[in-house]
Amino acid sequence: MLPGDFQEPRITQRKVLLLGVIGLGGVSGLVVALALGLFVLSAWLGLPLDVFGFNEGPDQPIEFPHTVHVQELGLDCTFCHRTVTKDAAASIPAVGLCMTCHKTVGDGNPEVDKLRGYYESDRPIDWVRVHRVPDHVHFVHEAHIRFFSDKMGGDSETCSICHGDVGGMEKVNQVRSLKMSDCVDCHRNNDAPTDCTTCHY
Amino acid sequence: MVTTQEKKTEEKWGMVIDVDKCIGCQACVVACQSENNIPVNEEEHFNQRRPIQWIRVERYWEGEFPDVKARFIPIMCQHCDNAPCEPVCPVFATYHNSQGLNVQVYNRCIGTRFCANNCPYHVRFFNFWEPSWPESLKNQLNPDVTVRSRGIMEKCTFCIQRIRRTERESGRDGNELKDGDRALNTACVNACPTDTLVFGDFNNPESRVSKLRKKEMDDHHGRGYKMLDELGTSPNVIYLKKVDKEAKESSTH
Ligand code: SF4
Repeated sequence: MLPGDFQEPRITQRKVLLLGVIGLGGVSGLVVALALGLFVLSAWLGLPLDVFGFNEGPDQPIEFPHTVHVQELGLDCTFCHRTVTKDAAASIPAVGLCMTCHKTVGDGNPEVDKLRGYYESDRPIDWVRVHRVPDHVHFVHEAHIRFFSDKMGGDSETCSICHGDVGGMEKVNQVRSLKMSDCVDCHRNNDAPTDCTTCHY
Repeated sequence: MVTTQEKKTEEKWGMVIDVDKCIGCQACVVACQSENNIPVNEEEHFNQRRPIQWIRVERYWEGEFPDVKARFIPIMCQHCDNAPCEPVCPVFATYHNSQGLNVQVYNRCIGTRFCANNCPYHVRFFNFWEPSWPESLKNQLNPDVTVRSRGIMEKCTFCIQRIRRTERESGRDGNELKDGDRALNTACVNACPTDTLVFGDFNNPESRVSKLRKKEMDDHHGRGYKMLDELGTSPNVIYLKKVDKEAKESSTH
């Protein structure tokens, strides 16, 4: 054989193994990159994609079912979220408010027992926040509810414009992106002010 | 919010400052620092000429030793109608809104500091550091005011959070905005013990600031002047001259 002549490489078992490892690594890298891309894309959309339960709300310390309280018992949103029609914040009810009923209602339910535990040990429930706008946004519930209930009548329907049908949710999740474009679109459609200092100050 | 739309005429917020009454107590400065979440300025910040004070009281000495007089003049953003800071902002983070306020939008600001360089009154402040407060003051932050992060320009807003809140509450309860309402007044105005600062709406002829402007901006008898008026910035803050009998006498002699 002349030097520099083409020689067919010998395929050894080691080479086959090496190729296999590289191939597997490539495929898994691609999968990871895709997953990352999906994650970034969903963050960019403002709402997690509705796949693999990405869109699900966070786990709460007590599995509070809005369905029971709203659909079955017919409580109004403002029954618990008391300051929503008067103030900027909607407010989470104090444990004492829950206990006005749950002193007697719900014996034997483990979630109600948890609630009573909080009440007896004088601790607030550390609910996980679902809807959050950045610090430089000053959202005022009262003004929005006033505007929309004048327009459509009824406080509770007003809430669902942004919060979706919370009454039908076992576990509350966010249904609108609540990004600035979302707010500004709605402000434009309703002739609300779009001056920056309406919300940012 | 919604209420601003329903109004017939928009307000034009402004202030009248009677320099004659100011005793230099700095109550306005403290009130402003705490109302607007301004970080505590330390010695190091002053040494670097980088303290943040939305309102400051400048002190001038007049005369030679036994006969010295201290003169005080409180200075904050003048909310100029023709503001030099506005056209230089590349991202429209500072602009004039329909209520005559010179507005700083923190989330839009990219920190070029052009506006501060262009401001003749030196009332714009750049956050050179991440703001911090002593542990004991953490809970006194005002939830209605954004805490500005590092790299952001900030300045007096005429306590716009108070304006917005009173507007909203007057819409909710169905009453008119009252001139001189303590809930509407800026923090410095409320704090001033000598009534040096008066805040109000120049578009309302019945307001105290309008009446003062009418009376004092009269060319012949009034004490009113605007700071650095010759620059043509047309500020919305009017200063009233010190009443100084001696100065008057010596100038007439
Ligand atoms: S609080 Fe009033 S008197 Fe005191 S320094 Fe400020 S403006 Fe002057």
